[in-house]
Amino acid sequence: MSDQTAASNLTPALEDYLETIYRLVAKSGFARVRDIAKARDVNPASVTPAMKRLDQLGLIDYQQREYVGLTTEGETAGRRIYARHQILTRFFNKFLGLPADVAERDACTTEHNLSAETVDQLVRLFEYMEVCPEGKDHLSRFRACSAVHDNVPECEHKCNSFTLITDASGTHRLTIADLEPGQRARIRQIESKGAVRQRLLDMGILPHVHIEVARVAPAGDPVWIKMQGYELALRMSEAKAVTVEPVTENSP
Amino acid sequence: MTNDPPRQQTRTPESRTIRAVLAGNPNCGKTSIFNGLTGARQRVGNYPGVTVEKREGRWTEGSFQVQMRDLPGAYSLTSYSPEERVARDELLEGDYDVVVVVIDSTTIRRSLTFALQVLQTEANVVLCLNMADEARRSGQKIDTSKLGRLLGVPVVETAAHTGEGLDSLKAAILASSLQPRRAPQPEIAAVLEDTRTIIEQDDAAALHRSQRFAITIAGILDQVTVEAARPDSRASTTRIDTVLAHRWFGLPIFLGVMYAVFWLTFTLGEAPMGWIESGVNWLGEAIDTNWPGSPDSPLLSLLVDGIIGGVGGVLVFLPNIVLLFLGLSFLEDTGYLARAAYLMDRYLSRVGLHGKSFLPLVTGFGCSIPGIMATRTIENERDRLATMFVLPLMSCGARLPIWMLVIPALFAPALRAPMMWGIYLFGILLAMILALILRGTVLKGDPTPFVLEMPPYRLPTLRSVITRMAERSWMYLRKAGTVILGISIILWALTTYPRPDSFQVDEDIAAGAQLTEQEIDGRRSAERLQFSITGRVGTAIEPFFRPLGFDWRIVTASLGAFAAKEVFVSQMSIVYALGEEGAETDLQSKLRRDFSPRLGIALMIFMLVGTPCMATVAVVRRESGSWKWAWGQFFGLTALAYVLAMTAYAIGGLV
Repeated sequence: MSDQTAASNLTPALEDYLETIYRLVAKSGFARVRDIAKARDVNPASVTPAMKRLDQLGLIDYQQREYVGLTTEGETAGRRIYARHQILTRFFNKFLGLPADVAERDACTTEHNLSAETVDQLVRLFEYMEVCPEGKDHLSRFRACSAVHDNVPECEHKCNSFTLITDASGTHRLTIADLEPGQRARIRQIESKGAVRQRLLDMGILPHVHIEVARVAPAGDPVWIKMQGYELALRMSEAKAVTVEPVTENSP
Repeated sequence: MTNDPPRQQTRTPESRTIRAVLAGNPNCGKTSIFNGLTGARQRVGNYPGVTVEKREGRWTEGSFQVQMRDLPGAYSLTSYSPEERVARDELLEGDYDVVVVVIDSTTIRRSLTFALQVLQTEANVVLCLNMADEARRSGQKIDTSKLGRLLGVPVVETAAHTGEGLDSLKAAILASSLQPRRAPQPEIAAVLEDTRTIIEQDDAAALHRSQRFAITIAGILDQVTVEAARPDSRASTTRIDTVLAHRWFGLPIFLGVMYAVFWLTFTLGEAPMGWIESGVNWLGEAIDTNWPGSPDSPLLSLLVDGIIGGVGGVLVFLPNIVLLFLGLSFLEDTGYLARAAYLMDRYLSRVGLHGKSFLPLVTGFGCSIPGIMATRTIENERDRLATMFVLPLMSCGARLPIWMLVIPALFAPALRAPMMWGIYLFGILLAMILALILRGTVLKGDPTPFVLEMPPYRLPTLRSVITRMAERSWMYLRKAGTVILGISIILWALTTYPRPDSFQVDEDIAAGAQLTEQEIDGRRSAERLQFSITGRVGTAIEPFFRPLGFDWRIVTASLGAFAAKEVFVSQMSIVYALGEEGAETDLQSKLRRDFSPRLGIALMIFMLVGTPCMATVAVVRRESGSWKWAWGQFFGLTALAYVLAMTAYAIGGLV
């Protein structure tokens, strides 16, 4: 968290604040602490430390206490963060066909974790889908084939080939339950709900965390996993709800 | 956050009492810290969720008195096991000046989640990095002053079991109570503010926020970790687990370990049992011989037959109970019981229980009462009730005397240990079947998640094992001294009064019957007992128990078992002391003479399954919150016991 490139090392919370300021400034030419608090739905008093920090990083002008302005560097950073947010929202909304509010929320959830490279690739994917004829074709076929998991005859063949392609490229759904003892993986998503998910999160089963399956119990259940510095046992029913991506031995 | 008024006001030097609470993950050594600070002797376990009760202690520091409360272990302020709810309510709404958050330094990455959640409450926090010595040995080095600056709270490294750092912790608690909390670094403050709502929410946003938490924690650790733990720091634990938690050998080893514990209990206990027995006999005879008054004095009978016979009969089993508790305490403290839960969960979940049901069930081998109380660690209500209901089937320490009386009396030495093992196993199997039935009928519902931490193996300190063993044994002795003493006296009275004015045997002699002196005495005693209240009740309901092979003496003794299971033994010794005057002096020889093996088995099944003691009924009432469960359990199990014992007796008759 050093400051050499202030904008690229922001915490997610600070990124959100910067994005909010950027949007407010773009809309009305200025941002007030009270508006920021309102937009972020937090207590105005708690905005202050973040403002101080952004000021320290040279991203905003926070001299007058009530009005917040953007420095040149801050504007660039804010625009970048905002653009990223827009791209993701559009992806979820226009391409995946999710409702606007879901798209907005998911964009908020994912944006901080995407690297610049990934965002660039996403932009290229959009361009391909919208501009290239084949891309348009794929997009319309995908939309036509909405019943991916149902037994719809005209869709079945395409879906089968679709599944095969994704299997081959290794992006099919893999969970902790599929791992053999000794295999390592990185957690992608926790798909369970409510109290179960909360418990998993509390025990440190979070996206991006590296795990290794140590062993399984006599009846093949529960599974015993090693995490950084501690070890957990969880039932297969829980393990099946945690998707992972395999990690090769040399990865950190 | 800097602008928010802190909830805890700065305390003036005049107020001399500081209220502190101790919070942290299960198994982080919180209770050891508590003991180290307050000097109180408490249970310290190596299994998540040992601390169930609220504990309080105090110490003085200069002119200040610090009152400390030990909260139940919690992984998060968002989870809802009854224990975690207690911790959460205390932290969010409780009245205190300082929170000491204890962290296991060896699992700091996970433990910081909880610490950050507590920091959101704006309380005065002191962060205590416990097990610092173990972390150091693993190569981990943390810059505590930097961590303190980042979070805005004092950070103290401790090693509770050696006492390292406890003085600094005391000083930090005092200092923290006297001044308001400093502001954390702005970046962390922003995250804390942003994630404050995590405590209240359980929606899609919670995942997002948890992720930020993880990022923040990683960031904090990057900054404060001088040297990371060596990757092989858990090597020895891993090596042990390759054997003890092995996929195929793990379970047989576990069953073997349990068998070894019972075998040791049986074998090592034999000699001291003999000593106590001779001591008790000697005392009884000494009083009898040196009695200044008449040999028919009711006081002598009360003293020798009632008190010494009753209490002594129970005291004899103290060595067994001490040894059994010693074994269980050791297994619990090393962390092996968490592995047992892992190995057993599949089988427990198949019958609708939970891996976490395992500790309460095993504790039930010691005594049902702490076992039932330990079910509080089970999050799901239905799992908890099912565990509670079947828990009395775990053969408790109080029933050990019954097995120790009946088994050696009726079975050859080679058969004794397997027989003992068999009883325990029978109880376990029956509990499983019953749990399955319960979870399929009255307690129907989805199974709950099983996410259990596997702590590193730790060699328990001799002190903690001995302390625990002593506490449990003392509980047993105290019961012998109070409840059992009282009941022995009452039952003696019930078996002695009213006294008959005349005897049938005298009329027989008058009619010309030829009897020896001994035979006359024996018949008189028998008549006296039958004339007494107990004899009358026992005789009255004897026909009901005849299908089980019970005579009125067993029925009479069983009546006493409701008070406490071990009373059955003292009751039997009184009933037999009064009723018989044979060549056999001790109870076991008398049983050998009067009992068939099938009666012994029917009796043991009835005592194992039926009539949970009155303390169990009371605790189930308290823990389940309804009399319905308490009495349902009592009558349900007794009815089941009746049917099973009758079946066993009938089958035994065919063989």
